[in-house]
Amino acid sequence: MIELRGLTKRFDDFTAVDHLDLTIQTGEFFGLLGPNGAGKTTTISMMSTVLLPTEGEILIDGQRLDRSASVQKRKLSVITQEYSMRQDMNMDEVMEYQGRLYYLPRKVIRQKTDELLEFAGLTEFRKRTVRHLSGGMKRKLMICRALMIEPEILLLDEPTAGMDALSRRQMWNLLRRVNSEKMTIVLTTHYIEEAQALCNRVALINAGKLQKLDTPDVLIEELGAFAVDETSEDGLVSHYFHDREEAIAYLSRAGNNAALRSTTLEDVFVVCAGRKIS
Amino acid sequence: MGIITVLWEKWVEFRRDFYKITVAAMISPLMYLIIFGMGIQTTSHGEPYLHFLIPGVVAMATMTGSFSAIAQNMSVQRLYEKALDQVMVSPTPLWQFILGQVLGGSLRGMYAGGIILLLTSPIRTDLTFNAVSLLIMLLNGMVFSTIALVLSFLAKSYTDAPRFTAYIITPMSFLCNTFFSTEQMPAGFRQAVSLLPLSQASGMIRAISNGEAPGVFGFVVLLAYLAVFGLISVLFIYRKKNL
Repeated sequence: MIELRGLTKRFDDFTAVDHLDLTIQTGEFFGLLGPNGAGKTTTISMMSTVLLPTEGEILIDGQRLDRSASVQKRKLSVITQEYSMRQDMNMDEVMEYQGRLYYLPRKVIRQKTDELLEFAGLTEFRKRTVRHLSGGMKRKLMICRALMIEPEILLLDEPTAGMDALSRRQMWNLLRRVNSEKMTIVLTTHYIEEAQALCNRVALINAGKLQKLDTPDVLIEELGAFAVDETSEDGLVSHYFHDREEAIAYLSRAGNNAALRSTTLEDVFVVCAGRKIS
Repeated sequence: MGIITVLWEKWVEFRRDFYKITVAAMISPLMYLIIFGMGIQTTSHGEPYLHFLIPGVVAMATMTGSFSAIAQNMSVQRLYEKALDQVMVSPTPLWQFILGQVLGGSLRGMYAGGIILLLTSPIRTDLTFNAVSLLIMLLNGMVFSTIALVLSFLAKSYTDAPRFTAYIITPMSFLCNTFFSTEQMPAGFRQAVSLLPLSQASGMIRAISNGEAPGVFGFVVLLAYLAVFGLISVLFIYRKKNL
């Protein structure tokens, strides 16, 4: 279980994360959503100890996480938003470095490297240095590197950014599979449909503060399961209804410039972020 | 274990960039030896100047090799590649990472110093280099590796590394008992310069090369620098809020 208690991060006068309280259960697939600059990456960076909180604390299975907490860190693996790898190492070396940092025996490192690179379709590029890989290949390599150590907790910061639709779907299937093996996953993503498809619960944060926390279905229900998109002079405006009949009645009044659809998590996100699609 | 991991990483880097590292380590010291030691032939303390110069250039090469191996590399890893994140999140104790960097940097410095010893070995100088000389080179390299670590943690951009070299390494290269004795400097300035680590390392290696005992004071100074900068780098990696 991961607990964030009053987690706060300030950079000079700017508060990136503001007294965030969250509890993520073991085996949960948890989404952290918010607009750009909401504090998602800063939260993940604190959970991976790259940044230290200004206030508050993070507990992993009841034990405080800090840079000296080797037992807690052994459970963690992270896929960062940026390609955080030695650019001058080849794939085999990147994997071996990771294995060595987590004290894996060399035989296990070799075996897991073979399996994961094969799984990701990277075997033929294994001697290529990172700087000569495409963005998608780098992303896949980071995933292989993170999974190599069989973590109990996987922190994913925009893991499918830059991936094509097919690779993204493959990634979803992989994440579902590892999550079904009781791996706790914390995901930040800009692809809201990704969070809706994968996450048991999502937290919506804005300006570093927790706005909403629940399952995607409950959040959608709370907003209204039916949406009518209406095009007006101000642009596209969405209206939400709990009752289908009510939505249809509004639609008939609005005329040709409106359309009925199901509400998605993206609607919740947009409303929460206080934005209007224009 | 973490120390071995870092040394392995340094070995991968060394193996890949062997020619670049070797040529870079040779060029400047070799130029100094050719120009000042062989081109402008003069004497120092009644001996050929080359006898004075070689121990100083060996100490300087050790310093430069160690410093550049860590400063540039860590700044890039921390600020550009973000590869340090991989280490921060791993269970490898961070003090072991620091110690591995210091040893790895020092070995690179010794390699640079060793090249100079090898290149000057055909010249008949009757200078002595022994295991204590190697120990001083190791210690000197460790000191400059820790200084490089501290500066790379302070760097705001990866282009800061060349600036650190310009501000710290270049002045020390010329002033610290390498090309001329600190005894010729004005009082006050002389004492300040002689307390710098390269002055002590040069002095001790030179003393051994002349068949004299290196003295304990130099070791104390180098160990003091190592302790202070080692402690600062460990504090930085554990406590710095925004690494």
